Amino acid sequence: MTAAITTRGLQKRYGARTAVQALDLEVQQGTVFGLIGPNGAGKTTTLRMLLDIIRPTAGTAAVLGADPRHGGPALRRRIGFVPGELRLEGRVRARTLLAHYADLSGPVPHGEIDRLARRLDVDLSRPVRALSKGNKQKVGLIQAFMHRPELLVLDEPTSGLDPLVQREFLSMVREARDNGQTVLLSSHVLSEIQQTADRVAVLSTGRVVAEGDVESLRLTSRRRIRAGVRDTNHEAMRNALAGIPGVSHAEVIEGDIVRVSATIDGDIDPLIKLLASSTVVDLAIEEPDLEESVLALYGADAEGAVRA
Amino acid sequence: MRKPLPVFRRSLADSWRSLLGWTVGVVAVLALYLPLYPSIGGDGQIQQIIESMPPELVNTLGFSGIGSGAGYTQATFFGLIGFLLLTIAATSWGASAIGGAEESGRLELALAHGVGRARYALESALSILVRLLWLGLVATLLILALDGPSELGLSASDVVAAVSALLGLTFLIGAAALAVGAIAGRQSIGTLAGAAIAVAGYVLNAIANQVSDADAIRAASPYAWAYQDDPLVNGADPAGLAALWGVGLVLVALATFALRRRDVTG
Repeated sequence: MTAAITTRGLQKRYGARTAVQALDLEVQQGTVFGLIGPNGAGKTTTLRMLLDIIRPTAGTAAVLGADPRHGGPALRRRIGFVPGELRLEGRVRARTLLAHYADLSGPVPHGEIDRLARRLDVDLSRPVRALSKGNKQKVGLIQAFMHRPELLVLDEPTSGLDPLVQREFLSMVREARDNGQTVLLSSHVLSEIQQTADRVAVLSTGRVVAEGDVESLRLTSRRRIRAGVRDTNHEAMRNALAGIPGVSHAEVIEGDIVRVSATIDGDIDPLIKLLASSTVVDLAIEEPDLEESVLALYGADAEGAVRA
Repeated sequence: MRKPLPVFRRSLADSWRSLLGWTVGVVAVLALYLPLYPSIGGDGQIQQIIESMPPELVNTLGFSGIGSGAGYTQATFFGLIGFLLLTIAATSWGASAIGGAEESGRLELALAHGVGRARYALESALSILVRLLWLGLVATLLILALDGPSELGLSASDVVAAVSALLGLTFLIGAAALAVGAIAGRQSIGTLAGAAIAVAGYVLNAIANQVSDADAIRAASPYAWAYQDDPLVNGADPAGLAALWGVGLVLVALATFALRRRDVTG
Protein backbone atom coordinates (compact mmCIF):
# COMPACT_ATOMS: atom_id res chain seq x y z
CA MET A 1 0.00 0.00 0.00
CA THR A 2 1.15 3.52 -0.67
CA ALA A 3 0.66 6.42 1.66
CA ALA A 4 -1.73 9.20 0.70
CA ILE A 5 -0.37 11.40 3.46
CA THR A 6 2.97 11.26 5.20
CA THR A 7 4.22 13.79 7.71
CA ARG A 8 7.65 13.77 9.30
CA GLY A 9 8.37 15.96 12.30
CA LEU A 10 5.66 18.37 11.26
CA GLN A 11 5.60 21.32 13.62
CA LYS A 12 3.72 24.58 13.91
CA ARG A 13 4.66 27.26 16.40
CA TYR A 14 2.90 30.57 16.98
CA GLY A 15 5.47 32.59 18.82
CA ALA A 16 6.12 30.78 22.06
CA ARG A 17 3.06 28.55 21.73
CA THR A 18 3.45 25.26 19.93
CA ALA A 19 0.23 24.17 18.27
CA VAL A 20 1.63 21.02 16.68
CA GLN A 21 4.92 19.45 17.69
CA ALA A 22 6.88 16.89 15.72
CA LEU A 23 3.96 15.12 14.13
CA ASP A 24 4.61 11.83 12.33
CA LEU A 25 1.55 10.54 10.53
CA GLU A 26 1.03 8.05 7.78
CA VAL A 27 -2.34 7.64 6.11
CA GLN A 28 -2.59 4.75 3.67
CA GLN A 29 -4.39 5.16 0.39
CA GLY A 30 -7.97 3.94 0.34
CA THR A 31 -8.39 4.01 4.10
CA VAL A 32 -10.30 6.15 6.56
CA PHE A 33 -8.00 7.70 9.10
CA GLY A 34 -9.40 9.31 12.22
CA LEU A 35 -7.67 12.13 13.98
CA ILE A 36 -9.17 12.54 17.41
CA GLY A 37 -8.37 14.63 20.38
CA PRO A 38 -9.83 17.26 22.64
CA ASN A 39 -10.40 20.78 21.37
CA GLY A 40 -7.11 22.62 21.04
CA ALA A 41 -5.12 19.45 20.47
CA GLY A 42 -3.83 20.68 17.10
CA LYS A 43 -6.17 18.84 14.74
CA THR A 44 -7.26 21.88 12.78
CA THR A 45 -3.70 23.21 12.57
CA THR A 46 -2.51 19.88 11.21
CA LEU A 47 -5.21 19.68 8.55
CA ARG A 48 -4.65 23.28 7.48
CA MET A 49 -0.96 22.54 6.98
CA LEU A 50 -1.85 19.66 4.67
CA LEU A 51 -3.89 22.09 2.54
CA ASP A 52 -1.16 24.77 2.53
CA ILE A 53 -3.50 27.21 4.22
CA ILE A 54 -0.89 27.61 6.92
CA ARG A 55 2.77 26.67 6.62
CA PRO A 56 4.68 24.43 9.00
CA THR A 57 7.44 25.87 11.13
CA ALA A 58 9.47 22.69 10.70
CA GLY A 59 9.16 19.21 9.27
CA THR A 60 7.82 17.89 6.00
CA ALA A 61 4.53 16.69 4.63
CA ALA A 62 3.72 14.76 1.50
CA VAL A 63 0.11 14.74 0.31
CA LEU A 64 -0.72 12.51 -2.68
CA GLY A 65 2.97 12.43 -3.42
CA ALA A 66 3.49 16.20 -3.40
CA ASP A 67 4.61 18.79 -0.91
CA PRO A 68 1.50 20.87 -0.12
CA ARG A 69 3.69 23.96 -0.11
CA HIS A 70 4.55 23.46 -3.77
CA GLY A 71 1.70 21.30 -5.05
CA GLY A 72 -0.38 24.35 -5.92
CA PRO A 73 -3.88 24.33 -7.37
CA ALA A 74 -3.28 21.08 -9.24
CA LEU A 75 -2.72 19.25 -5.95
CA ARG A 76 -5.65 20.87 -4.17
CA ARG A 77 -8.03 19.92 -6.98
CA ARG A 78 -7.36 16.33 -5.94
CA ILE A 79 -8.41 17.11 -2.36
CA GLY A 80 -11.81 17.85 -0.86
CA PHE A 81 -11.72 19.92 2.31
CA VAL A 82 -14.25 20.82 4.97
CA PRO A 83 -12.83 23.51 7.24
CA GLY A 84 -13.26 23.14 10.98
CA GLU A 85 -15.07 26.40 11.30
CA LEU A 86 -17.20 26.57 8.19
CA ARG A 87 -18.71 29.99 7.67
CA LEU A 88 -20.81 30.77 4.64
CA GLU A 89 -22.05 34.30 4.20
CA GLY A 90 -23.70 36.51 1.65
CA ARG A 91 -26.79 36.46 -0.50
CA VAL A 92 -25.23 34.09 -2.97
CA ARG A 93 -27.38 31.01 -3.46
CA ALA A 94 -25.94 27.71 -2.32
CA ARG A 95 -26.11 26.37 -5.87
CA THR A 96 -24.21 29.37 -7.26
CA LEU A 97 -21.58 29.06 -4.57
CA LEU A 98 -21.10 25.38 -5.33
CA ALA A 99 -20.82 26.18 -9.05
CA HIS A 100 -18.04 28.60 -8.15
CA TYR A 101 -16.12 25.95 -6.23
CA ALA A 102 -16.73 23.54 -9.11
CA ASP A 103 -15.12 26.19 -11.33
CA LEU A 104 -12.06 26.15 -9.10
CA SER A 105 -11.74 22.43 -8.48
CA GLY A 106 -13.84 20.76 -11.14
CA PRO A 107 -14.76 18.97 -13.20
CA VAL A 108 -17.76 17.81 -11.20
CA PRO A 109 -19.71 14.89 -12.67
CA HIS A 110 -23.02 16.00 -14.12
CA GLY A 111 -25.83 15.87 -11.57
CA GLU A 112 -23.48 15.11 -8.68
CA ILE A 113 -24.30 18.30 -6.76
CA ASP A 114 -28.04 17.61 -6.94
CA ARG A 115 -27.54 13.99 -6.02
CA LEU A 116 -25.59 14.98 -2.89
CA ALA A 117 -28.11 17.70 -2.03
CA ARG A 118 -30.97 15.22 -2.20
CA ARG A 119 -29.03 12.74 -0.16
CA LEU A 120 -28.23 15.25 2.58
CA ASP A 121 -31.62 16.94 2.20
CA VAL A 122 -30.61 20.55 1.69
CA ASP A 123 -32.30 23.20 -0.46
CA LEU A 124 -29.67 24.73 -2.74
CA SER A 125 -31.90 27.49 -4.05
CA ARG A 126 -31.64 29.45 -0.81
CA PRO A 127 -29.07 32.14 -0.06
CA VAL A 128 -26.32 30.63 2.06
CA ARG A 129 -26.68 33.22 4.80
CA ALA A 130 -30.29 32.10 5.30
CA LEU A 131 -29.26 28.48 5.88
CA SER A 132 -29.16 26.99 9.36
CA LYS A 133 -25.83 25.84 10.77
CA GLY A 134 -26.64 22.26 9.87
CA ASN A 135 -27.59 23.15 6.30
CA LYS A 136 -24.45 25.23 5.86
CA GLN A 137 -22.48 22.21 7.00
CA LYS A 138 -24.24 20.13 4.35
CA VAL A 139 -23.21 22.63 1.68
CA GLY A 140 -19.69 22.34 3.09
CA LEU A 141 -19.83 18.57 2.69
CA ILE A 142 -21.12 18.85 -0.88
CA GLN A 143 -18.28 21.16 -1.94
CA ALA A 144 -15.78 18.67 -0.53
CA PHE A 145 -17.32 15.52 -2.04
CA MET A 146 -18.71 16.78 -5.36
CA HIS A 147 -15.59 16.48 -7.51
CA ARG A 148 -14.85 13.01 -6.11
CA PRO A 149 -11.36 13.90 -4.97
CA GLU A 150 -8.73 11.27 -4.28
CA LEU A 151 -8.36 12.61 -0.75
CA LEU A 152 -10.97 14.01 1.60
CA VAL A 153 -9.73 16.11 4.51
CA LEU A 154 -12.65 16.69 6.83
CA ASP A 155 -12.30 18.81 9.95
CA GLU A 156 -15.12 18.12 12.40
CA PRO A 157 -17.43 17.40 9.47
CA THR A 158 -20.51 16.45 11.46
CA SER A 159 -20.70 19.53 13.65
CA GLY A 160 -24.22 20.88 13.55
CA LEU A 161 -25.68 17.90 11.71
CA ASP A 162 -28.64 16.07 13.20
CA PRO A 163 -28.16 12.36 13.95
CA LEU A 164 -29.97 11.17 10.85
CA VAL A 165 -27.76 13.23 8.55
CA GLN A 166 -24.70 12.21 10.56
CA ARG A 167 -25.52 8.62 9.72
CA GLU A 168 -25.89 9.50 6.04
CA PHE A 169 -22.54 11.24 6.19
CA LEU A 170 -20.86 8.22 7.72
CA SER A 171 -22.16 6.06 4.92
CA MET A 172 -20.83 8.62 2.42
CA VAL A 173 -17.43 8.24 4.02
CA ARG A 174 -17.58 4.46 3.78
CA GLU A 175 -18.64 4.67 0.13
CA ALA A 176 -15.78 7.03 -0.58
CA ARG A 177 -13.38 4.48 0.85
CA ASP A 178 -14.97 1.71 -1.19
CA ASN A 179 -14.36 3.88 -4.28
CA GLY A 180 -10.69 3.96 -3.40
CA GLN A 181 -10.73 7.49 -1.99
CA THR A 182 -8.74 8.25 1.13
CA VAL A 183 -10.41 10.03 4.03
CA LEU A 184 -8.71 11.92 6.84
CA LEU A 185 -11.32 12.81 9.40
CA SER A 186 -10.93 14.79 12.57
CA SER A 187 -13.36 14.74 15.42
CA HIS A 188 -13.69 15.19 19.12
CA VAL A 189 -16.52 12.69 19.14
CA LEU A 190 -15.19 9.20 19.57
CA SER A 191 -18.23 7.28 18.33
CA GLU A 192 -18.04 8.99 14.96
CA ILE A 193 -14.48 7.78 14.50
CA GLN A 194 -15.31 4.32 15.79
CA GLN A 195 -17.97 3.84 13.16
CA THR A 196 -15.80 4.72 10.19
CA ALA A 197 -12.09 4.85 10.78
CA ASP A 198 -9.69 2.04 9.95
CA ARG A 199 -6.94 3.67 11.91
CA VAL A 200 -6.84 6.39 14.50
CA ALA A 201 -4.32 8.79 15.88
CA VAL A 202 -5.02 10.48 19.18
CA LEU A 203 -3.74 14.02 19.43
CA SER A 204 -3.21 15.81 22.69
CA THR A 205 -1.49 19.15 23.12
CA GLY A 206 -0.02 19.04 19.65
CA ARG A 207 1.41 15.54 19.60
CA VAL A 208 0.28 12.02 18.80
CA VAL A 209 -0.21 10.22 22.10
CA ALA A 210 -1.57 7.03 20.60
CA GLU A 211 -2.00 5.48 17.20
CA GLY A 212 -3.54 2.27 16.03
CA ASP A 213 -6.92 0.76 15.30
CA VAL A 214 -9.78 1.99 17.38
CA GLU A 215 -10.23 -1.06 19.61
CA SER A 216 -6.59 -1.38 20.48
CA LEU A 217 -6.51 2.12 21.91
CA ARG A 218 -8.75 1.19 24.85
CA LEU A 219 -10.37 4.58 24.59
CA THR A 220 -13.71 2.86 24.67
CA SER A 221 -13.11 1.07 27.94
CA ARG A 222 -14.28 3.77 30.32
CA ARG A 223 -18.01 4.08 30.87
CA ARG A 224 -20.27 6.12 33.05
CA ILE A 225 -23.27 4.19 34.25
CA ARG A 226 -26.47 5.42 35.86
CA ALA A 227 -29.23 3.04 36.85
CA GLY A 228 -32.36 2.79 38.92
CA VAL A 229 -33.08 -0.64 40.41
CA ARG A 230 -35.91 -2.03 42.49
CA ASP A 231 -36.18 -4.97 44.89
CA THR A 232 -32.75 -4.56 46.36
CA ASN A 233 -31.10 -3.25 49.44
CA HIS A 234 -28.88 -0.22 48.94
CA GLU A 235 -26.33 -1.46 51.47
CA ALA A 236 -25.95 -4.75 49.64
CA MET A 237 -25.70 -2.90 46.33
CA ARG A 238 -23.00 -0.61 47.67
CA ASN A 239 -20.96 -3.55 48.96
CA ALA A 240 -21.35 -5.49 45.75
CA LEU A 241 -20.29 -2.47 43.68
CA ALA A 242 -17.14 -2.07 45.72
CA GLY A 243 -16.22 -5.64 44.83
CA ILE A 244 -16.25 -5.09 41.07
CA PRO A 245 -12.83 -4.33 39.58
CA GLY A 246 -12.45 -1.00 37.86
CA VAL A 247 -15.37 0.72 39.54
CA SER A 248 -14.83 4.24 40.79
CA HIS A 249 -16.94 7.24 41.74
CA ALA A 250 -19.64 4.83 42.90
CA GLU A 251 -22.73 6.36 44.46
CA VAL A 252 -25.79 4.59 45.77
CA ILE A 253 -28.84 6.52 46.92
CA GLU A 254 -31.42 4.64 48.87
CA GLY A 255 -35.13 4.80 48.21
CA ASP A 256 -37.98 2.86 46.71
CA ILE A 257 -35.92 2.83 43.61
CA VAL A 258 -32.23 2.60 44.45
CA ARG A 259 -30.21 5.03 42.35
CA VAL A 260 -26.79 3.76 41.32
CA SER A 261 -24.13 5.72 39.50
CA ALA A 262 -20.53 4.70 38.87
CA THR A 263 -17.62 4.98 36.48
CA ILE A 264 -16.11 1.73 35.32
CA ASP A 265 -12.86 1.06 33.52
CA GLY A 266 -12.51 -2.18 31.64
CA ASP A 267 -14.90 -5.10 31.65
CA ILE A 268 -18.45 -3.90 32.04
CA ASP A 269 -20.04 -7.35 32.34
CA PRO A 270 -19.87 -7.86 36.15
CA LEU A 271 -21.57 -4.55 36.74
CA ILE A 272 -24.40 -5.30 34.29
CA LYS A 273 -24.90 -8.73 35.88
CA LEU A 274 -25.02 -7.14 39.30
CA LEU A 275 -27.69 -4.68 38.19
CA ALA A 276 -29.60 -7.44 36.42
CA SER A 277 -29.89 -9.40 39.65
CA SER A 278 -32.46 -6.79 40.67
CA THR A 279 -35.27 -5.26 38.66
CA VAL A 280 -33.80 -2.57 36.44
CA VAL A 281 -36.18 0.32 35.86
CA ASP A 282 -33.77 2.72 34.26
CA LEU A 283 -30.31 2.43 32.74
CA ALA A 284 -27.98 4.84 30.97
CA ILE A 285 -24.46 4.01 29.82
CA GLU A 286 -22.43 6.91 28.49
CA GLU A 287 -19.01 7.17 26.98
CA PRO A 288 -17.04 9.91 28.62
CA ASP A 289 -15.95 12.83 26.51
CA LEU A 290 -12.78 12.33 24.61
CA GLU A 291 -10.75 14.74 26.62
CA GLU A 292 -11.43 12.75 29.77
CA SER A 293 -10.52 9.50 28.02
CA VAL A 294 -7.32 10.82 26.58
CA LEU A 295 -6.21 12.35 29.82
CA ALA A 296 -7.20 9.32 31.84
CA LEU A 297 -5.35 6.93 29.59
CA TYR A 298 -2.32 8.86 28.55
CA GLY A 299 -1.86 11.46 31.23
CA ALA A 300 -2.11 15.20 31.05
CA ASP A 301 1.24 15.70 29.34
CA ALA A 302 1.06 12.39 27.53
CA GLU A 303 4.81 11.92 27.40
CA GLY A 304 4.80 8.22 26.71
CA ALA A 305 3.36 7.92 23.26
CA VAL A 306 1.65 4.61 22.64
CA ARG A 307 1.74 2.73 19.40
CA ALA A 308 -0.54 -0.21 18.88
CA MET B 1 -12.81 22.62 -19.34
CA ARG B 2 -12.64 25.24 -16.64
CA LYS B 3 -14.03 28.68 -17.32
CA PRO B 4 -11.49 31.50 -17.05
CA LEU B 5 -11.13 33.96 -14.16
CA PRO B 6 -13.28 32.20 -11.55
CA VAL B 7 -12.33 34.48 -8.64
CA PHE B 8 -12.93 37.58 -10.74
CA ARG B 9 -16.31 36.36 -11.88
CA ARG B 10 -17.43 35.47 -8.38
CA SER B 11 -16.30 38.84 -7.08
CA LEU B 12 -18.38 40.64 -9.72
CA ALA B 13 -21.36 38.37 -9.18
CA ASP B 14 -21.25 39.01 -5.45
CA SER B 15 -20.97 42.76 -5.77
CA TRP B 16 -23.24 43.81 -8.63
CA ARG B 17 -25.77 45.25 -6.20
CA SER B 18 -23.19 47.46 -4.57
CA LEU B 19 -21.83 48.42 -7.99
CA LEU B 20 -25.34 49.41 -9.03
CA GLY B 21 -25.56 51.59 -5.91
CA TRP B 22 -22.28 53.36 -6.70
CA THR B 23 -23.40 53.84 -10.30
CA VAL B 24 -26.61 55.50 -9.13
CA GLY B 25 -24.50 57.69 -6.83
CA VAL B 26 -22.21 58.85 -9.64
CA VAL B 27 -25.13 59.49 -11.97
CA ALA B 28 -27.03 61.40 -9.29
CA VAL B 29 -24.08 63.61 -8.38
CA LEU B 30 -23.32 64.50 -12.00
CA ALA B 31 -26.98 65.03 -12.90
CA LEU B 32 -27.41 67.23 -9.85
CA TYR B 33 -24.30 69.39 -10.07
CA LEU B 34 -23.43 69.89 -13.74
CA PRO B 35 -26.79 71.38 -14.86
CA LEU B 36 -26.45 74.02 -12.14
CA TYR B 37 -23.40 75.53 -13.83
CA PRO B 38 -25.19 77.88 -16.28
CA SER B 39 -27.30 79.41 -13.50
CA ILE B 40 -24.57 79.95 -10.93
CA GLY B 41 -21.25 79.79 -12.74
CA GLY B 42 -21.87 80.87 -16.28
CA ASP B 43 -22.75 84.51 -15.62
CA GLY B 44 -19.89 85.30 -13.30
CA GLN B 45 -21.97 85.28 -10.11
CA ILE B 46 -20.01 82.51 -8.56
CA GLN B 47 -16.76 84.21 -9.48
CA GLN B 48 -17.89 87.20 -7.41
CA ILE B 49 -18.71 84.95 -4.45
CA ILE B 50 -15.35 83.23 -4.74
CA GLU B 51 -13.56 86.57 -4.83
CA SER B 52 -15.33 87.65 -1.64
CA MET B 53 -14.10 84.53 0.17
CA PRO B 54 -10.71 84.31 1.91
CA PRO B 55 -8.20 83.10 -0.72
CA GLU B 56 -6.82 80.48 1.69
CA LEU B 57 -10.23 78.84 1.88
CA VAL B 58 -10.72 78.99 -1.88
CA ASN B 59 -7.33 77.42 -2.49
CA THR B 60 -7.86 74.74 0.11
CA LEU B 61 -11.13 73.70 -1.46
CA GLY B 62 -9.63 73.91 -4.95
CA PHE B 63 -12.35 76.35 -6.04
CA SER B 64 -10.10 78.95 -7.68
CA GLY B 65 -11.08 78.03 -11.24
CA ILE B 66 -14.74 77.45 -10.50
CA GLY B 67 -15.84 80.25 -12.81
CA SER B 68 -15.10 78.16 -15.91
CA GLY B 69 -16.91 75.01 -16.99
CA ALA B 70 -13.74 72.95 -16.60
CA GLY B 71 -12.98 74.49 -13.20
CA TYR B 72 -16.54 73.92 -12.02
CA THR B 73 -16.56 70.27 -13.11
CA GLN B 74 -13.15 69.74 -11.53
CA ALA B 75 -14.12 71.42 -8.24
CA THR B 76 -17.45 69.66 -7.83
CA PHE B 77 -17.01 66.19 -9.29
CA PHE B 78 -13.39 65.21 -9.95
CA GLY B 79 -11.85 67.03 -7.02
CA LEU B 80 -14.54 66.45 -4.44
CA ILE B 81 -17.65 64.32 -4.62
CA GLY B 82 -16.66 62.02 -7.47
CA PHE B 83 -13.31 61.54 -5.77
CA LEU B 84 -15.09 60.79 -2.49
CA LEU B 85 -17.54 58.31 -4.01
CA LEU B 86 -14.95 56.36 -5.97
CA THR B 87 -12.52 56.42 -3.04
CA ILE B 88 -15.06 54.90 -0.68
CA ALA B 89 -16.05 52.30 -3.27
CA ALA B 90 -12.45 51.34 -4.09
CA THR B 91 -11.43 51.23 -0.43
CA SER B 92 -14.31 48.97 0.56
CA TRP B 93 -13.73 46.67 -2.42
CA GLY B 94 -10.00 46.54 -1.79
CA ALA B 95 -10.22 45.92 1.94
CA SER B 96 -12.87 43.22 1.61
CA ALA B 97 -11.23 41.34 -1.29
CA ILE B 98 -8.52 39.64 0.79
CA GLY B 99 -8.58 40.97 4.37
CA GLY B 100 -12.35 40.76 4.57
CA ALA B 101 -12.47 37.39 2.83
CA GLU B 102 -9.96 36.05 5.32
CA GLU B 103 -11.95 37.26 8.31
CA SER B 104 -15.17 35.83 6.94
CA GLY B 105 -13.57 32.43 6.33
CA ARG B 106 -14.21 32.43 2.59
CA LEU B 107 -10.55 32.86 1.74
CA GLU B 108 -9.64 29.65 3.58
CA LEU B 109 -12.25 27.68 1.68
CA ALA B 110 -11.38 29.22 -1.69
CA LEU B 111 -7.65 28.59 -1.24
CA ALA B 112 -8.35 24.98 -0.26
CA HIS B 113 -9.76 24.61 -3.78
CA GLY B 114 -7.86 24.72 -7.03
CA VAL B 115 -6.77 28.34 -7.07
CA GLY B 116 -3.33 29.73 -6.38
CA ARG B 117 -2.79 32.62 -4.04
CA ALA B 118 -1.23 34.87 -6.66
CA ARG B 119 -4.15 34.22 -8.96
CA TYR B 120 -6.56 35.00 -6.15
CA ALA B 121 -4.90 38.34 -5.43
CA LEU B 122 -4.55 39.32 -9.09
CA GLU B 123 -8.12 38.44 -10.00
CA SER B 124 -9.32 40.38 -6.94
CA ALA B 125 -7.36 43.42 -8.13
CA LEU B 126 -8.74 42.99 -11.64
CA SER B 127 -12.24 42.97 -10.22
CA ILE B 128 -11.62 46.28 -8.42
CA LEU B 129 -10.17 47.74 -11.61
CA VAL B 130 -13.08 46.64 -13.81
CA ARG B 131 -15.66 48.02 -11.39
CA LEU B 132 -13.84 51.35 -11.27
CA LEU B 133 -13.59 51.39 -15.07
CA TRP B 134 -17.33 50.88 -15.22
CA LEU B 135 -17.94 53.88 -12.94
CA GLY B 136 -15.45 55.86 -15.03
CA LEU B 137 -17.24 54.93 -18.24
CA VAL B 138 -20.60 55.98 -16.81
CA ALA B 139 -19.11 59.28 -15.59
CA THR B 140 -17.46 59.95 -18.97
CA LEU B 141 -20.61 59.33 -20.96
CA LEU B 142 -22.78 61.37 -18.63
CA ILE B 143 -20.37 64.33 -18.52
CA LEU B 144 -20.16 64.36 -22.31
CA ALA B 145 -23.95 64.15 -22.53
CA LEU B 146 -24.37 67.04 -20.09
CA ASP B 147 -21.53 69.10 -21.56
CA GLY B 148 -23.71 70.86 -24.16
CA PRO B 149 -26.88 71.48 -22.13
CA SER B 150 -24.83 72.60 -19.12
CA GLU B 151 -22.63 74.92 -21.21
CA LEU B 152 -19.44 73.47 -19.74
CA GLY B 153 -17.35 73.73 -22.90
CA LEU B 154 -15.33 70.57 -22.22
CA SER B 155 -13.48 68.57 -24.88
CA ALA B 156 -14.01 64.84 -25.00
CA SER B 157 -10.30 64.07 -24.81
CA ASP B 158 -9.89 66.25 -21.71
CA VAL B 159 -12.81 64.50 -20.02
CA VAL B 160 -11.20 61.14 -20.77
CA ALA B 161 -7.91 62.48 -19.38
CA ALA B 162 -9.58 63.66 -16.16
CA VAL B 163 -11.49 60.40 -15.74
CA SER B 164 -8.24 58.47 -16.28
CA ALA B 165 -6.64 60.52 -13.53
CA LEU B 166 -9.59 59.94 -11.18
CA LEU B 167 -9.51 56.20 -11.90
CA GLY B 168 -5.75 56.02 -11.44
CA LEU B 169 -6.05 57.83 -8.13
CA THR B 170 -8.88 55.70 -6.78
CA PHE B 171 -7.34 52.47 -8.07
CA LEU B 172 -4.17 53.35 -6.20
CA ILE B 173 -6.26 53.85 -3.04
CA GLY B 174 -8.16 50.60 -3.60
CA ALA B 175 -4.91 48.73 -4.24
CA ALA B 176 -3.49 50.13 -1.00
CA ALA B 177 -6.55 48.81 0.88
CA LEU B 178 -6.10 45.46 -0.91
CA ALA B 179 -2.39 45.23 -0.08
CA VAL B 180 -2.65 46.28 3.56
CA GLY B 181 -5.70 44.05 3.98
CA ALA B 182 -3.63 41.18 2.57
CA ILE B 183 -0.68 41.93 4.83
CA ALA B 184 -2.76 42.29 7.98
CA GLY B 185 -5.47 39.78 7.16
CA ARG B 186 -7.97 42.28 8.46
CA GLN B 187 -10.57 44.27 6.59
CA SER B 188 -10.58 47.17 9.05
CA ILE B 189 -6.85 47.78 8.70
CA GLY B 190 -7.13 47.69 4.91
CA THR B 191 -9.96 50.22 5.06
CA LEU B 192 -7.89 52.41 7.31
CA ALA B 193 -4.98 52.33 4.86
CA GLY B 194 -7.15 53.30 1.89
CA ALA B 195 -8.80 56.11 3.81
CA ALA B 196 -5.47 57.35 5.17
CA ILE B 197 -3.94 57.62 1.69
CA ALA B 198 -7.01 59.40 0.34
CA VAL B 199 -7.12 61.91 3.20
CA ALA B 200 -3.36 62.46 3.28
CA GLY B 201 -3.28 63.01 -0.49
CA TYR B 202 -6.12 65.50 -0.31
CA VAL B 203 -4.71 67.38 2.68
CA LEU B 204 -1.17 67.57 1.27
CA ASN B 205 -2.58 68.93 -1.97
CA ALA B 206 -4.61 71.53 -0.06
CA ILE B 207 -1.52 72.62 1.86
CA ALA B 208 0.46 72.79 -1.38
CA ASN B 209 -2.18 75.16 -2.78
CA GLN B 210 -1.44 77.64 0.02
CA VAL B 211 2.32 77.81 0.07
CA SER B 212 4.55 79.18 -2.65
CA ASP B 213 7.23 76.55 -3.11
CA ALA B 214 5.09 73.44 -2.95
CA ASP B 215 6.56 71.01 -5.46
CA ALA B 216 7.95 68.75 -2.76
CA ILE B 217 4.59 68.54 -1.02
CA ARG B 218 2.76 67.84 -4.27
CA ALA B 219 5.21 65.11 -5.07
CA ALA B 220 4.00 63.25 -2.00
CA SER B 221 0.31 63.56 -2.82
CA PRO B 222 -1.36 61.08 -5.19
CA TYR B 223 -4.22 63.55 -5.36
CA ALA B 224 -1.79 66.12 -6.79
CA TRP B 225 -0.37 63.56 -9.24
CA ALA B 226 -3.87 63.24 -10.62
CA TYR B 227 -4.93 66.86 -10.79
CA GLN B 228 -2.03 69.32 -10.50
CA ASP B 229 -1.84 69.67 -14.26
CA ASP B 230 -5.58 70.43 -14.65
CA PRO B 231 -6.44 67.56 -17.01
CA LEU B 232 -9.84 69.08 -17.85
CA VAL B 233 -8.00 72.10 -19.28
CA ASN B 234 -4.62 70.75 -20.37
CA GLY B 235 -5.45 67.16 -21.22
CA ALA B 236 -3.61 64.08 -20.00
CA ASP B 237 -0.54 64.46 -17.81
CA PRO B 238 1.59 61.44 -18.76
CA ALA B 239 3.91 61.73 -15.75
CA GLY B 240 1.03 61.99 -13.28
CA LEU B 241 -0.86 59.10 -14.84
CA ALA B 242 2.27 56.96 -14.92
CA ALA B 243 2.87 57.66 -11.23
CA LEU B 244 -0.71 56.81 -10.26
CA TRP B 245 -1.02 53.62 -12.27
CA GLY B 246 2.57 52.59 -11.53
CA VAL B 247 2.14 52.83 -7.78
CA GLY B 248 -1.25 51.13 -8.07
CA LEU B 249 0.35 48.17 -9.83
CA VAL B 250 3.19 48.04 -7.31
CA LEU B 251 0.60 47.84 -4.53
CA VAL B 252 -1.16 44.98 -6.35
CA ALA B 253 2.18 43.19 -6.58
CA LEU B 254 2.69 43.80 -2.87
CA ALA B 255 -0.74 42.31 -2.11
CA THR B 256 0.14 39.25 -4.19
CA PHE B 257 3.50 38.86 -2.53
CA ALA B 258 2.01 39.25 0.97
CA LEU B 259 -0.74 36.72 0.40
CA ARG B 260 1.68 34.16 -1.03
CA ARG B 261 3.88 34.33 2.01
CA ARG B 262 1.38 34.33 4.82
CA ASP B 263 -0.52 31.81 6.87
CA VAL B 264 -4.20 32.28 6.21
CA THR B 265 -5.99 32.34 9.52
CA GLY B 266 -9.31 34.08 9.99
